[in-house]
Amino acid sequence: MKRIFPILLIATALAAPADAKNVDLSTVPSRDTVQLTIYNSEDLTLVRETRVVSFKKGVNPLQFSWANTLIDPTSVELRFLKLADQLDVLDTTFLHDKPQMLYWNVQSEIDGEATVEITYFTSGITWSADYVCIADPQETEMGFEGFVRVYNHSGEDYENAQVRLVVGTINLVEKIAQLARISMRDVDRLEKGRRGELRQRAAREMMAKSGVMVADMAVAEAPKQIIKEGLSEYFIYTIEGTETIPHGWSKRLRSFEGTTVPFKIQYRYRVRQYGDQLVRMYLLTNDETSNLGTTPLPNGMVRVFRDNGRDGLSFLAAQQIKYIPIGDKIEINLGPDPQVVFELVKLRAFRDQIWMKLHGANVYRQVDDGRIRIDPRSTVAGWDDHELYNQRIRNYSPKPIDVQVRRIFPGHVVFRSELNPKLHDYQTVQYSTNVKAGQKADLLYEVVRHQGRNAKQNNVTLEQARPAR
Amino acid sequence: MHRLSLLVTLAGCVLLVGPSTGAYGRIKLITLPVRERVEVQLDHPNITLVEEERIVPLVKGVNQVDFSWANTRIDPNTIVFRVIGPGGDRNEDAPEINVLSVSYPPNENALVWQVASSKPGSARVRISYVLGNLTKSFNYRAVAANDEATLVLSQYMRLQNLANEEFGSSDIWAGFGPRFHKPIGINETKEMLVEKFRQVPITKTYTCNPAEFDYLDRPKNKLRVPMHYVIKNDKANGLGAAPLPFGKVRIFQDDGRGTTAFLGEDWGKFTPIDDEMKLYLGVAQDIVVKRTIEKNERHRVAGNLYDYEIIIKYEIENFKNKPVILDVAEDLRYVRNEVRRDTGRDVEWELGKQTTLGDPDKEDTTQQRVVFHVNLPAASRGKNGKAQKIVHKLHVIIRNEW
Repeated sequence: MKRIFPILLIATALAAPADAKNVDLSTVPSRDTVQLTIYNSEDLTLVRETRVVSFKKGVNPLQFSWANTLIDPTSVELRFLKLADQLDVLDTTFLHDKPQMLYWNVQSEIDGEATVEITYFTSGITWSADYVCIADPQETEMGFEGFVRVYNHSGEDYENAQVRLVVGTINLVEKIAQLARISMRDVDRLEKGRRGELRQRAAREMMAKSGVMVADMAVAEAPKQIIKEGLSEYFIYTIEGTETIPHGWSKRLRSFEGTTVPFKIQYRYRVRQYGDQLVRMYLLTNDETSNLGTTPLPNGMVRVFRDNGRDGLSFLAAQQIKYIPIGDKIEINLGPDPQVVFELVKLRAFRDQIWMKLHGANVYRQVDDGRIRIDPRSTVAGWDDHELYNQRIRNYSPKPIDVQVRRIFPGHVVFRSELNPKLHDYQTVQYSTNVKAGQKADLLYEVVRHQGRNAKQNNVTLEQARPAR
Repeated sequence: MHRLSLLVTLAGCVLLVGPSTGAYGRIKLITLPVRERVEVQLDHPNITLVEEERIVPLVKGVNQVDFSWANTRIDPNTIVFRVIGPGGDRNEDAPEINVLSVSYPPNENALVWQVASSKPGSARVRISYVLGNLTKSFNYRAVAANDEATLVLSQYMRLQNLANEEFGSSDIWAGFGPRFHKPIGINETKEMLVEKFRQVPITKTYTCNPAEFDYLDRPKNKLRVPMHYVIKNDKANGLGAAPLPFGKVRIFQDDGRGTTAFLGEDWGKFTPIDDEMKLYLGVAQDIVVKRTIEKNERHRVAGNLYDYEIIIKYEIENFKNKPVILDVAEDLRYVRNEVRRDTGRDVEWELGKQTTLGDPDKEDTTQQRVVFHVNLPAASRGKNGKAQKIVHKLHVIIRNEW
């Protein structure tokens, strides 16, 4: 339903709109074009609409109202696209008794038509991205489709609107700082009104930079193109042609498609990322080599299916992904694989390097050197805990699998193995293996934890050696 | 009752006609393509994917294909619309088809695809969606032979349709085993035999482990000795084609007179290939194990550092008239807690020379648990009428405790 109306008041010389008049005559100029620039990180949409208005010489009162919509009244602006040098906005009045309405008094030097542009911010229009991946039966390539969905809960119907979507995490304060050329420290000191004004300027600037409106298509035989352009720190998707999205509706369009996107499968154990389980991952890259890379991927839900080879699909996973820049990796967690068994067995534990502290003296003696009689009046002050583990991986899937394990060892630790491990960070050990189809792998390692006074550091040292049995 | 419908709006495409009242009338002339085929994919552990195929007539230009549902839990975000072929037999007549967009009307369980067709014709489309309340579970029926050496394991899948939608003849697949082709009615529960494994070797075990199974009679030091059937999910035992899903197992035994006796039921845990499914049968009455700690000595190593020497004595009686194998298991942390407090540290232990239980089972023994298999001969009544008592000892040295 249309609720936004600019009305030209006629037959009066209403320089002061607050004058009490009981009889009015008005014309309602229709909306010619409308453009929506929708941000997904804020509930913020910049609307730019144009209308043709007839003016007479002198002062022309123009009423703009937006009942039951979510327009920010302080953001409404009027400017003239034609004959701008002969038209001026004298003043803008917000009446105290008529909310969601304002008056402009326009001084015209002409009798005739002019195109005006009205811009304003509204909330209630949002968009989101989502993705559908369908892997081939062999799980080597996938179709990767990206979609955008626009939701209109603004209270206003926007017909034949050009729709533009701003991709990226928008920090408006940053933009304010950029525009105002002031330091971030000073941004917080700005008054609310000034910040709002700068916010509007920021969004308008962005809107002005990107292209002209694309002509509507009479009949679209192919899915609409979504033009993607980078702009500063952002990406703007411009949906080809125009869209009609009534209040309450949402609409989903395909933004890109990669038909044969190669990917790899890796099994990973990372407690912090995936919990205490071995998970199966699809790994691909958002780049041209992978038939993607035309756009960063905004935050959104990825739904993954696998073609079962008989026209049917298997549902594999649904996962929220964070913004993925062009060239970055896409990692999709499919969860545990029942065909791969991942077990950690603690085989043995023992202690050595035990140091005793003699009572009443700051003297330490080692227990197991066999030569010194340890004073019975002493207590254990330092020791090394040895733990021997078997990381067993059984692969019952029909293909060989790559497995990568990351384990965290707090404290002063020596990780002893013949697994060629790497340190992911100072306390995280990473080791990898390949397990053939139908085979199992026994990965032995020993963890030596320096305890008590033996602990001198808080890190892990890798030692390439056979674990103690 | 069909609560899902697919409508195709014919030429004219009068859609989104907005009266001034604010509610959108959607005036349309429609065709109703019927379901040609339904597949229910149950291969995901928790999620059911329904796929239906319909032949959709299309006019040249843009068509509105309206999909709606009521009182059923379709996840609208999972709906995938795919054109998988021409509606007819001739490929050369197939129009080129593109899905342009999807619109979601307010306050309705529906969506509208805008589908462009290069010429009049029809297309075979497949609509896939995740459907709630159409769930599966597994259960088993195990019938042991009279000698308890083998059993027949029947695996059933139970499909429960509380989704408030009926599906005609549908292909149903659990992710393994055969594909079923059956109708699924509203509120219907359908149980299907997935596999029947015959002559599956079983091991009947008797186990005592106070940490896991506690005492049957604590004042008399008698341990609880539970019995299990152990089925190994591997090819050597006629299984091993796929993991065995979690499910209830009803256990019967051939009574030797052509009928079966119900022995009980247990939850069979998810069993990967090569793993064992243990089915609890109850507590053995004819195997008596008395467990006492015969020796508990502390030896100072230095200062407050000690070694502990412990001997656990088992007095075992088999009152059955056939030999059995008793699994004697001990949790070393539990043993340490019996003789001193739990320090929170791992138990450093080794077996002492006075152990009479033989070598521990290498597969089942870990840092914290030791397992022995003890052969118990059949009861041969002694002169005084009692079963033969076998005494075994477990000698453990727990080192470096403070």
